[in-house]
Amino acid sequence: MTAPLESQSGGGSVAAQPLQATPPMSAVAAGTSPESQPLVRVEDLKMYFPITSGVLINRHVGDVRAVDGISLAINKGETLGLVGESGCGKSTVGRTLLRLYRPTAGRIIFDGQDITTVEGSSLRAVRRRMQMIFQDPYSSLNPRMTAAGIISEPLEIHGISGGRERRERVRDLLATVGMDPDYGDRYPHEFSGGQRQRIGVARALALQPDLIVADEPISALDVSIQAQVINLLERLQGEFGLTYLFIAHDLSVVRHISDRIAVMYLGKIVELAGSRDLYERPLHPYSIALLSAVPIPDPAVEGRRRRIILTGDVPSPSNPPSGCRFHTRCWLRERLNNPERCVAEEPQLRAMATGHQVACHFAEEVDGTAEQVQVTGRPAVASGSSPSTAIGDAS
Amino acid sequence: MALLSVRDLVVRFRTHDGTVNAVNGVSFDLDEGETLGLVGESGCGKSVTNLAVMRLLPSPAGRIEGGHVYFESEDLVGLDESEMRELRGKEIAMIFQDPMTSLNPVLTIEEQMVETIKAHKKVSNKEARARAVELLAMVGMASPEKRLRDFPHQFSGGMRQRVMIAMALALEPKLLIADEPTTALDVTIQAQVLELLSRLAADHGTAVILITHDLGVVAGMTRRTNVMYAGFVVESATTADLFARPSHPYTVGLLHSMPRLDAEPGELLIPIEGTPPDLRVMPAGCPFAPRCAWRVPQCWTENPTLEPITATADVQMTGPNATHRAACWNRPTAEEAAAGWPLRAGFVAAQDPSEASR
Repeated sequence: MTAPLESQSGGGSVAAQPLQATPPMSAVAAGTSPESQPLVRVEDLKMYFPITSGVLINRHVGDVRAVDGISLAINKGETLGLVGESGCGKSTVGRTLLRLYRPTAGRIIFDGQDITTVEGSSLRAVRRRMQMIFQDPYSSLNPRMTAAGIISEPLEIHGISGGRERRERVRDLLATVGMDPDYGDRYPHEFSGGQRQRIGVARALALQPDLIVADEPISALDVSIQAQVINLLERLQGEFGLTYLFIAHDLSVVRHISDRIAVMYLGKIVELAGSRDLYERPLHPYSIALLSAVPIPDPAVEGRRRRIILTGDVPSPSNPPSGCRFHTRCWLRERLNNPERCVAEEPQLRAMATGHQVACHFAEEVDGTAEQVQVTGRPAVASGSSPSTAIGDAS
Repeated sequence: MALLSVRDLVVRFRTHDGTVNAVNGVSFDLDEGETLGLVGESGCGKSVTNLAVMRLLPSPAGRIEGGHVYFESEDLVGLDESEMRELRGKEIAMIFQDPMTSLNPVLTIEEQMVETIKAHKKVSNKEARARAVELLAMVGMASPEKRLRDFPHQFSGGMRQRVMIAMALALEPKLLIADEPTTALDVTIQAQVLELLSRLAADHGTAVILITHDLGVVAGMTRRTNVMYAGFVVESATTADLFARPSHPYTVGLLHSMPRLDAEPGELLIPIEGTPPDLRVMPAGCPFAPRCAWRVPQCWTENPTLEPITATADVQMTGPNATHRAACWNRPTAEEAAAGWPLRAGFVAAQDPSEASR
């Protein structure tokens, strides 16, 4: 089965290559080309939250497996998007990465240093280099502090500069995020949602971090304001060489801002690919369902698209399904007459010839299906206008 | 004759901080079986318009201060509460954004559904219960007889919204108002619920007003769309026309400020500058002028009315041939709408006269 999208490779110089899995390899190594150093590396990260019961004696009766063995690397200066539905563990990944939680298992390596278990002053030193932007600009700013107070707090905590120098720095930061430097005296309630989010961004920038974890930074904002914040984040990345982990549920936004995208389902990464590749040639049945569910603001395109309606809800992360976690809702499994392998064996993330990493036993079967091709609502196969994926760059 | 006909509706809220002009003279019609999208940001008046139609404005702060709402030729504005009660649920039903707060947490689904059915129909408990089972099965609930005895918290968000849809359709209303029905749900669940909603509405011939901020949802779900801003309808057209030829700068701005899943790489987002309007201050001119890239001096002083974008004597308010209308003194051309900003050489957005004189 030849994938129709391969015909899009610009100029036709790239021979259509059959899709095949390369031998199993360390998932971490893939997607990290030799010239780009990963800033953060996560190996087999697990974050379980205990469920306890009992009044006097808290018995440990189970775990919510929010993150259950994920490996990924974020290169310096890139944006890695993390998408998935609520409860898939994407926010927990971000928070664990920043060591706001102590991971249950696995390793986190930040700029060559293992920070999985560091504590105290060495943890504080690392934290200086990574910051977070939160979803809700209303609850993430202290209502009793002025904008200047909020922005200078990280400087204070880390004992950086003081007095006049610090005040100047705050004014600079306000200007950097596109606000009037004189607004520093105002309180959060005097600002609109978009302006508050800018203050949150200025606070994250105060320590000149290397990594910023942005957890749904625009989903609480009005539609007309979202683009302002997206553009701001993109500009700042260019200016300061920031590395972003961008966590969101909205695939259109994630695709716009990210270089690579990891799709999560129930605590696992099911697919990891360049943002272009993921959209042009998704290889996991869940990614395809997710892409097909995103409405596109164009009635003509909507009329052409075929939506995959997943049945049922996401199962509970405290008792995930055996084998492939998606098998209870998978449309492909149904088509393949419910192979036993999906229930019995957990698929590992494997690198495909397209440079994708995908965790599905039957990813080859996905390629070329009508569902995959129609995800975008393109009329059949598009002309050679858009060169397709970097086929064949897997090791 | 239109099923619903809203004329010059004005709704204001009296608050401690002043009077909020939530809806400022909105008129639209809806035919039987038609689906109408109402889009706009939070605070644009889209929800308030429909709460006014249902006469569910929070009292005493919110009041209909002008206009008429004709439902099957009867003016709902003049009805008293008991007459309205007859109508609600039976003729006009509503689905809200958050299904958790619109279901009673201490009653089972059965009690709530039976209560709704019995309030309007003279049926026995047994018949009402049978109808409830039928409705739950219709919205795709597995083992409906068992689930009837569950409480709302035992359902997931998507399932709760299905229960809401089942209850809304229990009495086969002629009009269903869905206020952001999928905003609280994940995309895959949103797809389930929207598919269900459009299938059931089509099967029953129910007219639907779909309120949403998501232009993608409007594109896939509706036949006709009204775009609202600051309590005004600023553009009205069939959904196909609206997206093919957006003619109000705000609509153009909305379309360019959101990334599209199918966009070419390097897509440029053009944000709408400034902040949403303060509804306590009635603008002298066009409410969108302070944020508009196309504004001309007239925009600061005179509020444009909704006019056909191509001159016509025969203005259609409803149906597949509804006239494309926009409220704008300086409409973006087709090329400008595609580009996202004014392309006329040397064009500069007109300065606010009150700023200029300072």
